[in-house]
Amino acid sequence: MIEVKHLTKYYGEYPAVRDVSFFVEKGRVVGFLGPNGAGKSTTMRILAGFLTASSGQVRIDGHDVFWDPLAARRRIGYMPENCPLYGDMRVEEYLWFRGGLKGLSRRERKQRLGYVTERCWLTDVRRQLIGTLSKGYRQRVGLADALLADPPVLILDEPTAGLDPAQIRETRKLIRELGQMHTMLLSTHILSEVEATCDSVIVIYQGQVVEEGALAAVRDRHGNQPLEDIFVRLTGQEGI
Amino acid sequence: MRATLSLIRRELAAYFLGPIGYVALFSFLVLNGLLFFLVVGLLTEKGPRGVEYPMQVMLGGADDPEWALVAGVLFWGLFPAVTGIITSRLIAEERGTGTLETLLTAPIRDWQVVLAKFIACFGFYLLMWTVTLLYVPILANLHAQWRPVFTPFSVALLVGIAFIIFAKLAFWYELSSGLVLFLGLMGWGLAIAGGYLHYTKDEQYFLEVKSGIDFFPVLTSYLGIVLAGAMFLALGLLVSSWVKSQLVAWMLSLLLGLCFVLPAALRWQFDTGSVIDPLVYYISVPEHFRRDFTRGVIDTRPLVLYVSVTLCCLFLTVRSLEARRLR
Repeated sequence: MIEVKHLTKYYGEYPAVRDVSFFVEKGRVVGFLGPNGAGKSTTMRILAGFLTASSGQVRIDGHDVFWDPLAARRRIGYMPENCPLYGDMRVEEYLWFRGGLKGLSRRERKQRLGYVTERCWLTDVRRQLIGTLSKGYRQRVGLADALLADPPVLILDEPTAGLDPAQIRETRKLIRELGQMHTMLLSTHILSEVEATCDSVIVIYQGQVVEEGALAAVRDRHGNQPLEDIFVRLTGQEGI
Repeated sequence: MRATLSLIRRELAAYFLGPIGYVALFSFLVLNGLLFFLVVGLLTEKGPRGVEYPMQVMLGGADDPEWALVAGVLFWGLFPAVTGIITSRLIAEERGTGTLETLLTAPIRDWQVVLAKFIACFGFYLLMWTVTLLYVPILANLHAQWRPVFTPFSVALLVGIAFIIFAKLAFWYELSSGLVLFLGLMGWGLAIAGGYLHYTKDEQYFLEVKSGIDFFPVLTSYLGIVLAGAMFLALGLLVSSWVKSQLVAWMLSLLLGLCFVLPAALRWQFDTGSVIDPLVYYISVPEHFRRDFTRGVIDTRPLVLYVSVTLCCLFLTVRSLEARRLR
C-alpha cells in the first residue's frame, strides 16, 4: 500500500533522509519511531506530498506521489504535526470546507461529516470555534479531517503529542479501531503506545532505517528485551 | 472544480470572520466618502467655479482646489495599502500558522489554490467598489422617465423581465426545476431579443435615463479601477507567498505597490521630450487615471500593463508555492 524506495531528502547541504526504503502492506498499522530530528516528519511530509523528495520514489496504492500527486493524495488522510487548523472557523464549517476541498459532493459530505463527528467524539463541540478548543479536541478535529474522505491510507504525525493520559487512551483506542479499516503509518515517541496499537515498527535514526519488521520479530531479534531498550540501543544512546 | 469553489468560498468568508476585512472596508470607505463629499461640493458650486471631470476628482486626480489635491495624494497613497491589507493574509497567514501544510496536501493543484485565493480577494475588492456605486446616481444626477410606449418589442421586453422574476421566485420556493428552467430561458430570450429590437427599431423608449454628466467616463473609470486593482492584488498575493509574517507581507506589498504610484508624483522632474518620460508615464497608475480613464479615454497601454503584471504575478505565485515543496 505504501511503497518507499531509496528516498533521500536534502535541506540544502544537510541530508535529512538518506536512502530510506520500506513497504507497508495493506491493512497494517505501522509505528514510525525515531529520536527527534531523525527525519520522521520529513518522510511523512514527502509521503503526504507537502515536500518533494530530492531523489527516490514513493507510491501510494500504486500511484506515484510525484508524477500522479492528486490520485496519491486522494488516497491519503494526513494529519500534520501539531495539527494546524483555522482558528476562526467552527468545527462543522471547517470539516465541511475540507470535504469540499477533497472533492466530496454535498450528499457525501453530509454523510461523512455525520460519521466522523460521531467517530471522533466531536458531536458536542460541532458549533464551537476551533480557536477556543482544547488541545485534545483540536487533535480530534485533525483526525476527523484525515478520515473525512475515507482514504485507504492514514498518515498521522504524532497523534498523541501533548495530550493528557485520558485523551491518549481515548486516541489510542480510536487508532486501534481505525486500524481495522485503514492502512496506517503513525509516528510517536510513546513506546507503550506502539506496543498497544501497532502490528509492526520502522525505526529511523539519522535519516536511515535501522530496524524494520513485525513487533514480535523485532523483539525476537533483540533477545526479547523491552522495546525501550531496543530503541535506545538502535539509536546509539546507550550510555544515557 | 468543486475543490476550487470550496476554497474560494472559505477565503471570501474569512474576510468577514476576522477584523481585517472590516478594517480595509472602513478605511477605504472613509477615504472614498471624503472624495465624494468634495466632488458633490464642486459639482454644486455656484458661478464659474466647478469641475470639468467629476470622476477625476473622485479618483484623486485633480489638483485644482487644494483639498482635492490632498485627498488625491491620500487616496493613491492608501490605495496600495488597502489592497495590501486584503492580500497580505492570504498565504502568509497560512504559512505562519502551518495550515498551508493541510491545504497543500489536499488533492488540489497549486495553481487552483492560487487562483482560488486570487478570485476571493478580487471578489472582496469588487465588493468594496460596489459600495461606491451608490454614489454614481448622485454624481451623475440620473433621471429616469417612464413613458407608456407599448410596441410589440417593448411588451416582449417587459414580459421577458416578468418571466425572469417568476423564474427566480419559483427557484426560491423550490418548484419543479423544469418550470424554473423554462421560465428562465424564455424570460432571458424574450428580454434580450425584445430589448435589442426596442432599442434599435422603435422611435420612442418607454424608459429614458438621463444623466447630468457625461456617463462614459464613469464606465471607463470603473473599468480602469477593476483592472488596476487586479494588478495590485496580484502583486500583494505574490509577496504574501514569500514571507511568513502578515505584517511584513503588508509592508512589502505596500512598497511594491508604491512603485506603481510614486512615479506619478515624480513625473514633473523629467523633460516631456525625453525618453524617460513615456517610461515613467507607463508605470504611474494615478496618471493613467488622471489623463485617460476618468476622462473617458480607454488607452490600451495601461490595460496591457495591468493584465500582464497580474498574469505574471499569479504565475510567479504558483511557482513560489511549488518551490516551497523543494526546499
